Amino acid sequence: MVEVTRRTFVKAGSAVVGGTLVAREFLFSPLASQGAETPLSLQGPVEDLVPTTCWIGKQDCGMLAHRVDGRVIKFEGNPANPRNNGTLCPKGQAQIIALYDPNRVKWPLVRTNAKGQTGEWRRASWDEALEMTAAAINEVRERNPKLVLWQKGRSKAKGFYDDAFTKAIGSSKLGHGAYCSDTGYRALEYTIGTHAVLHPDFRYTNYMLSWGWNITNAGGNKFCWITWPQHMIRARDRGMKIAHIDPRLRSAGPFADEWLPIKPGTDLALALALCHELIAQDYLDRPYLTTYTNAPSLVKDDGLFAQVTVGEGDEAAEVSLVWDEATGAPVPFGEAESPALEGTYELDGQQFSTAFEVFKDHVSQYTPEWAADITGLPAEQIRRIATDFGENAQIGSTLVVDGVEVPYRPVGIMAYHMAQQELGFQAMRAMVMVPMLVGAIGAAGGQLSDFSWKIDKRYAQFEKFEVQDPPYDFMLNNSRYFPINTGFPGMVARVMNDPARYDVEELPEVAILHMVNPLGSFASQREFLDSYGKFKFIAAISPWLSETADYFADVVLPSATIEKYEGPISATNQYIEATTLRIPPMDPLFESKGEIDIYMDLCEKMGTLYGEGGYLDQVNKALGLVDDLAAFAVPTDRKPAVRDIFDTWARGQGIDEGVAFFEDPNHSVFVKGPMSPTKMYGYVTDPPFGGALHRLYGDSLLDAQRQMQAKGADPLYWQDYTALPTWRSPTMDASPGEYEFYMVSYKLVEHKQARTSFVPLLAELAPGARIDINPTAARRLGIEDGDTVTIESHNAVTGETRSMTTVAAHCEGIRPDTIGVPAHFGLWTHPQNEGQGPTPNEIYFTGEGYMAMTADQSFHVKVRVSKGGEG
Amino acid sequence: MAKYAMVVDLERCQGCRACMEACKIENNTSEAMFWMYVFRFEEGVYPDTRMSFLPRPCQHCDNAPCVKVCPTGARFKRDDGIVLTDSDRCIGCRYCELACPYGVNYFNWQKPNDAYYSDAIDWSDPDIQEVTLGAIPPYKNPALDERWGSEQRRTAGGGHAKGVMEKCTFCVQRVEQGLQPACVETCPVTALRFGDVEDPDTPISRFIRERETWHLLEETGTEPSVFYVGGKPPSQQYREVERPKARV
Amino acid sequence: MATTTINTPQPLPQGVGRLGPAWIAFVVGALIVTGWGLFAYVRELSDGMIATGMRNVGTMGGASWGLYITMVVYFIGVSFAGITVAALIRVLRLDHLRPIARFAELLTVVALILGGLSIIIDLGQPVRGVINLFRYARPQSPFFGTFSLVIAGYLFASLVYLYLGARRDAAILAKRPSRLQWFHRLWAAGYTDTDEERARHRRATFWLALSIIPLLIIAHSTLGFVFGLQVGRPGWYGTLQAPAFVALAGVSGIGHLIVLAAIVGRVIHDRERIGMDIFAWLGRLLMILLFAYLYFMTVELLTLIYATPEVEKQLSDALLLGQYASVYWGSVALLAIPAALLAWQALNRRWRVSWLVASGLAVNLAAIGKRYLIVVPSQTHGTLLPYETGSYSPSWVEYSVVLGIFALGSLMVGLFFKAFPALPLSEEEEREVLANA
Ligand SMILES: Nc1nc2c(c(=O)[nH]1)N[C@H]1C(S)=C(S)[C@@H](COP(=O)(O)OP(=O)(O)OC[C@H]3O[C@@H](n4cnc5c(=O)[nH]c(N)nc54)[C@H](O)[C@@H]3O)O[C@H]1N2
Ligand SMILES: Nc1nc2c(c(=O)[nH]1)N[C@H]1C(S)=C(S)[C@@H](COP(=O)(O)OP(=O)(O)OC[C@H]3O[C@@H](n4cnc5c(=O)[nH]c(N)nc54)[C@H](O)[C@@H]3O)O[C@H]1N2
Ligand code: SF4
Ligand code: SF4
Ligand code: SF4
Ligand code: SF4
Ligand code: SF4
Ligand SMILES: [Mo]
Repeated sequence: MVEVTRRTFVKAGSAVVGGTLVAREFLFSPLASQGAETPLSLQGPVEDLVPTTCWIGKQDCGMLAHRVDGRVIKFEGNPANPRNNGTLCPKGQAQIIALYDPNRVKWPLVRTNAKGQTGEWRRASWDEALEMTAAAINEVRERNPKLVLWQKGRSKAKGFYDDAFTKAIGSSKLGHGAYCSDTGYRALEYTIGTHAVLHPDFRYTNYMLSWGWNITNAGGNKFCWITWPQHMIRARDRGMKIAHIDPRLRSAGPFADEWLPIKPGTDLALALALCHELIAQDYLDRPYLTTYTNAPSLVKDDGLFAQVTVGEGDEAAEVSLVWDEATGAPVPFGEAESPALEGTYELDGQQFSTAFEVFKDHVSQYTPEWAADITGLPAEQIRRIATDFGENAQIGSTLVVDGVEVPYRPVGIMAYHMAQQELGFQAMRAMVMVPMLVGAIGAAGGQLSDFSWKIDKRYAQFEKFEVQDPPYDFMLNNSRYFPINTGFPGMVARVMNDPARYDVEELPEVAILHMVNPLGSFASQREFLDSYGKFKFIAAISPWLSETADYFADVVLPSATIEKYEGPISATNQYIEATTLRIPPMDPLFESKGEIDIYMDLCEKMGTLYGEGGYLDQVNKALGLVDDLAAFAVPTDRKPAVRDIFDTWARGQGIDEGVAFFEDPNHSVFVKGPMSPTKMYGYVTDPPFGGALHRLYGDSLLDAQRQMQAKGADPLYWQDYTALPTWRSPTMDASPGEYEFYMVSYKLVEHKQARTSFVPLLAELAPGARIDINPTAARRLGIEDGDTVTIESHNAVTGETRSMTTVAAHCEGIRPDTIGVPAHFGLWTHPQNEGQGPTPNEIYFTGEGYMAMTADQSFHVKVRVSKGGEG
Repeated sequence: MAKYAMVVDLERCQGCRACMEACKIENNTSEAMFWMYVFRFEEGVYPDTRMSFLPRPCQHCDNAPCVKVCPTGARFKRDDGIVLTDSDRCIGCRYCELACPYGVNYFNWQKPNDAYYSDAIDWSDPDIQEVTLGAIPPYKNPALDERWGSEQRRTAGGGHAKGVMEKCTFCVQRVEQGLQPACVETCPVTALRFGDVEDPDTPISRFIRERETWHLLEETGTEPSVFYVGGKPPSQQYREVERPKARV
Repeated sequence: MATTTINTPQPLPQGVGRLGPAWIAFVVGALIVTGWGLFAYVRELSDGMIATGMRNVGTMGGASWGLYITMVVYFIGVSFAGITVAALIRVLRLDHLRPIARFAELLTVVALILGGLSIIIDLGQPVRGVINLFRYARPQSPFFGTFSLVIAGYLFASLVYLYLGARRDAAILAKRPSRLQWFHRLWAAGYTDTDEERARHRRATFWLALSIIPLLIIAHSTLGFVFGLQVGRPGWYGTLQAPAFVALAGVSGIGHLIVLAAIVGRVIHDRERIGMDIFAWLGRLLMILLFAYLYFMTVELLTLIYATPEVEKQLSDALLLGQYASVYWGSVALLAIPAALLAWQALNRRWRVSWLVASGLAVNLAAIGKRYLIVVPSQTHGTLLPYETGSYSPSWVEYSVVLGIFALGSLMVGLFFKAFPALPLSEEEEREVLANA
């Protein structure tokens, strides 16, 4: 009773009050706009900064996380980081919405339905999920650890913790490189010894060939994006000119002073023609060629070097002979007073030509006119580019950099992912030879490759190949198919689908997928759909349900996104040496964990965490906390906090504050200082070029070819193992005429691989798949801008065809015989993916004819385009 | 009293649209609202094709049509040159938008929260609410709710509200705190510059003196506070390529 | 005897107070349509204007002013004619037109109310709108100018005008007991039909009439300037706007008068008071205004055809050949054909009510079309920066709301005519009323 009356009284009262409130609201007070104002903690907003690094991209740009009451409200570039100097690209900005995405995998998932279809899952505890995974791995490990396949995509930060994992459990290891630029890396390791591809010395370069560099969108050599454009713009302020070699103009945007719309897959021909012209116009740096390359080495008429053994016992080494003009006799390389660069010499009835003589002879056929027919570029343009390059090289000049006199050749090439073509390895070799001829390699303003002249271990391995007899392991290492082979997921998939064909007996049984999504980013999707079901068990470590996990994972382990410790991360921009760490700006959201935690917990369950050779021991090795740094080693008898690992590592680096240094926004980046010329310029390193003799002539490649033939390999595999880059038309050109277009793919600045198309802020800027097609070509087929089109690809080897449906975008900046497709879409597990369209990887082919001689994917295929299609 | 201006350097711009993204995040604008917009243009016919990029913030005109036509004074120009919208006073007549020659105004056609990428993300998810205390977006910027400048009106865009007009504010909430606008701050190649042009010694004043500058749609007499360097004014022959998802 | 006459009073003249089945049917119909419009508007209020077909100009490729603003311009135009005619009748002492004066005035009042409504409905923040438009009024803004002047000032003026003009009739009716007596008393407000009262009245209304005419011109010019002064919108910028506006306003208004005249004539079966001479006069007026407007339009057409600046070209293509061609040429036809019809009738001095009514309706459809073409295309096709051309088509919500507004209008007219005689009382009506007083 009383209750009621009071309530009614209150009601009445509030009604009156409400009335007057409304009146005040409308008539006197400003009209309040927003419903909910930003929620703030009671003790009032506490704002702070946490230094961290970009988690989306490949170069881990420095970031400052702005927080209010511990909630990140914005990521901004970290001015202290030389890679990005306080700036961020659209992806770097947008990752904040990904961090908070409730569509992330929140807790461990265990599959409840059959594989090969969209997964059904039940929530599991970390304990259970890890138990299952550990058991599955151990069961196989006991028989043969190599049958455990650990696979990772384009890593971020330094993967020390997963190296440690694969070493600790002795598993096989498969990376992303076969879809990235491994061909390029192998070509460079083979030719000049560096583990990298090509970039110019932007600080001094005056003339650059942007060779398939997606300037305004993507990485170029090694970097993700921001760093190179920053250098490029400064160089242009200085007046650097850019000749852009790419079927698409969009990659260079407004920055192409000259555009060479080359026919896809013909870069080898262009590079050979440029070599031809440089020689014809005598733009040659003879001292460099004679001293630092194998050009003077004498080649027998069987195409191999004439060699002698020098030294005794285990000192003994095979060394090629050169012709000493002083004595008029052949002497071992390096012992000649004045070695002959050119010429053919006779010694007891045998003809010997210098490698350079053979090279000159070889390229004499590759005239600009010849290349014009193949590349679709005017001969005079090719000739002029060669002249500009030779002229700008200023052969013979030197420059004093920071007190050090360095040969000065202000010309260079930027090239990276376009190496992914069938002839990529030899094309890249021929491309390096262009700066080699003018002596620009490692010169000031000239051709750089890696940031320093550290020689990769493969340089030595490539001196002699040992092609083995079957059976082969499932990666086809040292096989008669791929003497050079760094692991090709697509090939592994083919092997799993038909082991007998490749003389393979044992197949992988368990897979751990870490930051990899073959159904998204790798070609061809078909191979993976057919093979990954064959794994007995797959565990996926991923913050989102990747499509591969959706179809094939038994267990999904949710990893944190940016909210975890990772590193150490190089922050060098080529000119400044620096290191930093990824610091978690928040605790891992939901039940996710950082990978290091996951690996430690998993190893604990597998019993491989502690002691000699255990995970922690391997972590110490991978972080170099051994020998003189052993004092800083992580104890291997108890599980450390991840932060402690980085803390002791930091102290090992001589940073007394330890990890706190990196957590402090006023430090956050450990800058070692400017890169010294004696580290950056090959001519002046000690020894010069890190001690690598540059292989103009690929004697060991020819030798490998002979071994492959001897073991009965098909010409498809050995045909490109030639001592000198040799043109042949790509296999795809054998497709019937109606497949009139080349399909190339590329990256958009708004997206990173297949890991961002579901980030709403980025999907807004770049909503979905399309093909760029030249309007003239399109209209001939009755295709208007925005029309739905069907793309059908054709495999010239097997005759198989595949097709996808997408939309046409008219584009005057692309060759009429080429269509371009962004590589980022075709995902389906996230609501944002709805209607985004396909990935070209659905219709690319992999394997014979569509891969490089080094077991690397080619992103080229002939297609036909027709109007309409379901979708 | 300062007088703020922005310089857009078309010789540097990469068309990367980081500025658009930074703007959206800093100012919490909802879907398809681009206070900053970057055109990507193509002109000419293969192989004589040319590409160009054109960032387009609000021009903060000194002779601003939008201000003149606003019936309530919700759209006003501060002494420091920043043209703002008072989201408490705006009645949503959209006259400013019609008067503006540059197409930089965006109207809240729906409740911003409903427009916040909610097709793909359920912000009411309890596990997220736990972390964000119900903020939409989760990175909601409290500085936007504050009242800035001598006029102390709600102008920073925090008043995103159904039926109200909004546009680029020159990041008033940042400028008032002595920071650079979000777009300027993030631009990887310094294609955007911001500062006080009344003081002749500021970097931007010097830059404007040293370089040849022009304005967008000079002929309309709006006297913008945004200067362009390099490139050339866009013509109707330009074909726009790679448009974002811009319609709600 | 006497008592009975008092208990069963003679019906009031011109069907006032008598609710016949037809009238009830009409009211119910009008109510339903109005209700539907209201429902649609509530949807718009709750979901936001996303419920309309309007979107932002520029990247969003839309039109931010659409059907609603079109109707604002249209209704204000219509209101113009009513009051002008009424005023002219007073000032020029056109006594034979007296009969249509009152509902001409009524037409103005109703059109203005609907015009005002359309503005409120177009606001993103209607409640605020009503308050802030006055609380923070900026007379510099043409929009404010039109809103306050046209709607408020001018609505007030016309109300007074209507009020004074009918006060005498009210006083007469007030003498007579009926369900509406209170209303008529209220209106008469103590007016006793003495001679000097009459004289004062005539003077007042005369000056009011005189002053209303310039007020009109100013009001409609400002309305023209709402569009005319916008540098940012090709197709809007230009001085032709204001006069063209006024001409078409007249056309649409007279069109309505003709229709109303016909209806009223029908309803109160009064052939000789709304006689052929009235229709002829209206027809001639309509014809003159039509030709005036057609002249402006040919000028406009020529400028369109020879449009040179890039954007103007793009715009004229959209109008003459593209997205808007159907509306454009449709409107042209709906103006040209009536013009021809009227000319024909004028020449051989034979006027047909049916033809006039048809013309009246036609020119009003055309007027709406033309207003639409002024408001919309220069947003979707007139951006000075090379944005993709946009598109706009009204959503079901907009159509429903506009229908609702029309229904509301006719409802007002219908109700008024049941509460008050549509025509000034004639001598015998007066006598007859007083006889039963
Ligand atoms: N925004 C963004 N940036 C990224 C990435 C990303 O996903 N998004 N990924 C990062 C990674 S992992 C890498 S490897 C780098 C890659 O960095 P880039 O190699 O610069 O980028 P891509 O887009 O792969 O380059 C392919 C370019 O080569 C052209 N091309 C294709 N075929 C041919 C050909 O036969 N000849 C020639 N001359 N050109 C050809 C294409 O048109 C395209 O412009 O980018 C990194 N940065
Ligand atoms: N057609 C075509 N295909 C291409 C390319 C092309 O140019 N054209 N580019 C190729 C190149 S250059 C490369 S490098 C490859 C890259 O290929 P990948 O590196 O495999 O790229 P993603 O598809 O992004 O796969 C990354 C997966 O890991 C998840 N992930 C993201 N962040 C994390 C993390 O922090 N932890 C964990 N555990 N998982 C994470 C993502 O959700 C995603 O599912 O793609 C290649 N694919
Ligand atoms: S460039 Fe790469 S690493 Fe740097 S911010 Fe952008 S996405 Fe991140
Ligand atoms: S961020 Fe800078 S470079 Fe990128 S689009 Fe904006 S202005 Fe251009
Ligand atoms: S650009 Fe448009 S909105 Fe900005 S100030 Fe100028 S007129 Fe106003
Ligand atoms: S929409 Fe708001 S700001 Fe723009 S004119 Fe109308 S009231 Fe002024
Ligand atoms: S100044 Fe601020 S509001 Fe304006 S465009 Fe740049 S970021 Fe957006
Ligand atoms: Mo890559």
